[in-house]
Amino acid sequence: MAEHQPAPDEERREFREERESLWRITLAPATWAVHFVICYAAAAVVCAKAPDSIGTLRLGIGALTLLALGLIGWLGWRAWVQWDVRTTGDYRNPLGEAEDRHQFLGHAAVLLSVISALGVLYVALPALFIRSCG
Amino acid sequence: MERRAAHARTPVGRSMEPTERDRDRVLPGARAGSVLLGLSMLAACEGRQSVLAPAGADARVLGDLFMVMLVGAVVLWLSVNGLFFYVTRINPAALSKRFANGLIVGGGLLLPSVVLAGLLGYGLSIMPDQRAPGDGLTLRVRGEQWWWRVEYWPEGADAPIVSANEIRLPVGQRADILLDSARVIHSFWIPALGGKMDMFPGRETRLSLHPEKPGRYRGQCAEFCGTSHALMAFEAVAMPPEAFDAWLRQQEAPAAAPATAQGQRGARIFAREGCGACHTVRGTKARGLVGPDLTHVGSRLSLGAGTLGTTLADYETWIAHTGTVKPEVEMPAYDHLDPADRADLAHYLKALE
Repeated sequence: MAEHQPAPDEERREFREERESLWRITLAPATWAVHFVICYAAAAVVCAKAPDSIGTLRLGIGALTLLALGLIGWLGWRAWVQWDVRTTGDYRNPLGEAEDRHQFLGHAAVLLSVISALGVLYVALPALFIRSCG
Repeated sequence: MERRAAHARTPVGRSMEPTERDRDRVLPGARAGSVLLGLSMLAACEGRQSVLAPAGADARVLGDLFMVMLVGAVVLWLSVNGLFFYVTRINPAALSKRFANGLIVGGGLLLPSVVLAGLLGYGLSIMPDQRAPGDGLTLRVRGEQWWWRVEYWPEGADAPIVSANEIRLPVGQRADILLDSARVIHSFWIPALGGKMDMFPGRETRLSLHPEKPGRYRGQCAEFCGTSHALMAFEAVAMPPEAFDAWLRQQEAPAAAPATAQGQRGARIFAREGCGACHTVRGTKARGLVGPDLTHVGSRLSLGAGTLGTTLADYETWIAHTGTVKPEVEMPAYDHLDPADRADLAHYLKALE
């Protein structure tokens, strides 16, 4: 600790990074929300206007689902690295220090990514099973 | 309550004794009561309007779904409460951190995700079959307040065979049922044969049913639709295909002319009272479309959309007391008819087989 010489703008950089990761924890649920809205809106419009295109719609939902899962997976991986639970062994980050806050935001983002991935999968399941509009 | 209040006023030392005695006296009664309640609820599983006594392919699949959910719920309930009992009563020592974390991740994250995904997949996989296309016969059913307008369209037909307040289907075939409504939302449901489907004014919905066991079942409007919603029911009959075809041919024919003098008098009263303005009796001048088609009303298994039986007395009751039998029904009560006329009219209608 003693040999660590903080760079003049380190505090500012750290704060900026925290602000960004605060935004980042919302990105996985936001991806889920966007996926949900697009799937439901597309299914409603296609079934009302062009029920014969349901095959294309199902493929489209499949592709969108893979895209959303990829994005959530990447966000989740970055959050996992930020949480850093393997190195620190600290699950709960109970201290109010900068490092703990940093890792806690990663922890929260990992859990949100998991629930978002599940949400995306469950939203897409009907397109897998149901082959017609009605 | 009152007795407990009385105890509260007695000195503390004395109040315990009667309470104990009360408990001894009350418990066996409560136990017998719950056993009786359980038995009477079991009886509800039987019967011709029960989802738990399926008589069709769709109802069977839904019954299986119900049993899977029920057994699963019981297993989950026992597991969660068993675990709770174990950690609070049998082994209340602190759990290791590793075990606790495993419990949270495994029991709180993995297990529900997998179980919910499995149930969702199972539920979704049975949905397409519930709406499978029919084998040829199509029914059109329109919800009215508070009865059912029914049309049978056999394969290739260009005109319907009109009936009302009764659904007959051939066993071993899937029939398409197209639903809509005249004014308000209704819901078409024959629990023994399949799931329910809402009926909307200006929008057609579709259902298909595949009866497996011949028999008489009961359907019921399952969406509140006004004062007499509860009295909007119908008889549903699953018949062997040959019997169904014979029945349908008979329904297609115009009404038979009354064979008895009393029936002829009844037909004249029917014409004189203007019944034909609202009701159709094919083969006569009665062509009204407001109320149910009465061409073969005598062959039906209920009157007033599942409200009354089919004895002559029931016909007379319906004619003279419509609004009492079925509040706010559109048909006026013909209580000004003298008893002899009413009997003749009932006789005429019952003979329309």
